[in-house]
Amino acid sequence: MRAKIDLRGRFERHRKDTRFVAAGLGLLLVVFTAIYYAMQRGRDLPDALVTNKVLLFALRNANFVLILVIVFVLSRNLLRLWLDRRQRVLGARFKTKLIATYVGLSLLPVMLLFFYGNELLKGAIDRWFSDSLRTVLEQSNAVAQALQTEIDERDYREAARLARALGGVTFEEAGGRPLPPGVGARLERAREESGVHFLGLYRGTEFLHAVVDPRSGLNDLPEVGRQLLTDALDSGRSRRVLLPAGTRGRLILAAAAAAGEDRRRLVVVAGTMLDPAVSATSEELIQAYQSYRQLEVQKREFAMSYRLIFILVTLLILLTSSWVGLFLARRLMQPIQELALGTRRISTGDLDHRIEVAADDEMAGVVESFNRMTAELKRNREEIERSQRELLAANRGLAEERALVSAILENLAAGVIAIDPTGRILSANRAALTLLRQREDDLVGKSVRESWSDDERARLADLVTSPDPGPPEGVELALLLGGERRTFEVKRSELKGAAAPGEGSSHGQVVVIEDQSDLVKAQKLAAWTEAARRIAHEIKNPLTPIRLAAERLRVRHRAGDPGIGKLLEESVDVIVREVATMQGLVDEFSRYARMPGPQLAATDLAQLVGEVLALYRDVKPGVAIRPRLEPGLGEVWIDPEQIRRVLLNLLDNALEASEAPGEVAIDVERRGEKFTIAVADEGRGIAAEDRDKLFLPFFSRKRRGTGMGLAIVQRIVADHNGTIRVSDNRPKGTVFTLELPVR
Amino acid sequence: MPLVSRWLFLGLLAVAAQGPEFRDVRIAASGGQVLLSFRFENGLTPEIRERIESGLPTSLVYELELMRDRKHWWDRGIDASRLEIVAMYNAVTREYLVNTKQDGRLIGSRTVRELDELERVMTELESFPAFVLEADPDAERRTRFLVRVRVDLGAGAFLGFIPIQRSSAWVESNKIRFQAPAS
Repeated sequence: MRAKIDLRGRFERHRKDTRFVAAGLGLLLVVFTAIYYAMQRGRDLPDALVTNKVLLFALRNANFVLILVIVFVLSRNLLRLWLDRRQRVLGARFKTKLIATYVGLSLLPVMLLFFYGNELLKGAIDRWFSDSLRTVLEQSNAVAQALQTEIDERDYREAARLARALGGVTFEEAGGRPLPPGVGARLERAREESGVHFLGLYRGTEFLHAVVDPRSGLNDLPEVGRQLLTDALDSGRSRRVLLPAGTRGRLILAAAAAAGEDRRRLVVVAGTMLDPAVSATSEELIQAYQSYRQLEVQKREFAMSYRLIFILVTLLILLTSSWVGLFLARRLMQPIQELALGTRRISTGDLDHRIEVAADDEMAGVVESFNRMTAELKRNREEIERSQRELLAANRGLAEERALVSAILENLAAGVIAIDPTGRILSANRAALTLLRQREDDLVGKSVRESWSDDERARLADLVTSPDPGPPEGVELALLLGGERRTFEVKRSELKGAAAPGEGSSHGQVVVIEDQSDLVKAQKLAAWTEAARRIAHEIKNPLTPIRLAAERLRVRHRAGDPGIGKLLEESVDVIVREVATMQGLVDEFSRYARMPGPQLAATDLAQLVGEVLALYRDVKPGVAIRPRLEPGLGEVWIDPEQIRRVLLNLLDNALEASEAPGEVAIDVERRGEKFTIAVADEGRGIAAEDRDKLFLPFFSRKRRGTGMGLAIVQRIVADHNGTIRVSDNRPKGTVFTLELPVR
Repeated sequence: MPLVSRWLFLGLLAVAAQGPEFRDVRIAASGGQVLLSFRFENGLTPEIRERIESGLPTSLVYELELMRDRKHWWDRGIDASRLEIVAMYNAVTREYLVNTKQDGRLIGSRTVRELDELERVMTELESFPAFVLEADPDAERRTRFLVRVRVDLGAGAFLGFIPIQRSSAWVESNKIRFQAPAS
């Protein structure tokens, strides 16, 4: 896998090298062409020929370079596709198909065009060099050459005849001496008879004499050239074609040497001037044939050059189409590949990745949507992470808080018990277990009834499961646990959910149990101390008049007062009266101490209240007693005499506290398994510091009274498993509220 | 000469019944000059003849090298020369113009009317003053010289695109001792 990656990486790294490769190949082409040109210039060849050769070479090399480039580009892209497919790059298959389609679609017509064009070219070249054309040109050339040959032969015959005829004539050294007599005229006659335009005599290469037809167009004696003469001397015959200066025709010369080996023997030169028109026509025919032959010689090179141009164009089309195919495939696939890469990056958690593709079509919209989605994902993740951090912090806070609460609960002197809405105990702190003398296993996870099934604890269960939450300050409950009576203050608090402000479903309740036994003991001790003080005070009050009466009797008796009898009567009355007072105190206290337990009986509460109220009708003018009895109170299980006494006490106190005009209200209502009796007055009210001592024996703020009334009331209510509480009446006065079980 | 071209050339020679070849390559010293004679038989191949007849300028280029003979070692090159014989046919005048150049300098020009003569002119050299020895006669007298010759076949392309100079194989002449010119 690493090898593949390295190969691909290397492949990508050298991607730009292709430009250098192409530039290098181009440069090589130029250099090779220059070298080839230099080699060709080394020979003595015409420029056109050299140019053709060099052009052909350049074309061939350009083709070669193009083939290399195409093979390189195609193989490079095929290799890349192969790597992509092996590495399962997204879109590689699609890209392969696209490129194959493009190259295939372009290759097919291009190749067809190439083969068809090649055949056309071949046909055209064959037509250029067709047999019919060749025959025509050959015949034309033959005719032109035949004309020249015929003239040449005629000239030679005349020259040879004259050479034979004059072969015997001795010519002196030239040197300006005259010819032998009659030679000039003979020469002129021979020219006229033969029809040639020029006849010249030479001794060896030395000019002797010549005659020219003045109608031939030759303005001067032509220079036949030394080679013509030497060739004639060498071989007996020679010929030459001249283009005399000042004429437009050709002069066909033929030379014949006289017999012999002498290099200075006679040479006769005969010449015929071709008509300019004929000469031009025949020359054109010959040149045309020569041009044809030259082309024929270069036929392969010409055919090759055209074929190379054709191949060059074909390759250019192929290169362009394959490049366009590759470009389009790359352009089409780039956004898709970027999207795939982006998806992978995002799947690995890199939400900062963005796709940057220069697109202006539908892909631009896709890319933009993708980037937007990525940004949204990032925002969401940051939000989640933030929430998670907050949640963790909150959890830590909660854990700390719970630990703190747990520590507080564990160290609380009060017992705290959590109960769910179904009545199952969720938790209980150590103090609760200690107070209730139970183990954790006895409580946690069990229902209230199951945990507190014994007679004593069942009262606690009744209290906890009662629909009435009870007073906020709690309910006092005395339980006999482990042979020891303990007094508890039980408070219930409902746990409300925070679904909505002011609403919420109940999550259960928390029961707080405080051991009030010591406090009650202390209160009782204080009460008894107070009671003792009051008893002493109450006893001391009558003792003083008794002591004073007794001392006055003793003083009058010692003094022998005669009116002692009357005094005795008065003193005895005082003593008897005060003793009676003391007797009353003692009886009252004795009754409180010996108060019997309640004798419960089904009692019509409304009737009982009505009977008590009847006793107080018009007792205190200006103060009205207003009963508010709930209809259908029914029967309750109480001791009617004791409850009557409670009502009498409360009404006495209320009427005494009330000032006319005023009102005393008595409300009786039933709440489930309990009923309440509230007695409210509009008096001065009770000071806060007196409320704690209100129910203690012998505590009274009244000028008259034993202070035992409310103590007895509380005793009766407690014996009925009820509660009594005192609170302020609105706008003024005091409310005493009794709460007693129905049964 | 590249190996491929050499093998191609030799192959062509083998295929041809009467392929071009150098014959009678010999040298002689005369008056400080090295006179070269050889025959390049069948030098005018049918293709060359056809080319000449068509009127295209056609040349035969001989590369000449004067070598100092060294026993048991490679011979040492002393001088080199390039002899180019260019023929051009004029179909109108029915003449072959033959120009001879040595090292790019025209040294002769003549007209030939017959193809056989043209072949002779182009492929046969007789006592051609190829080199001049002007060095120390005493030193040169002790050594032997030879001339090797080959034909430049023109520019070609190796592998189709690398330009190369095609040549025939070198053919060596006889070896001679230098004789100082009589003063």
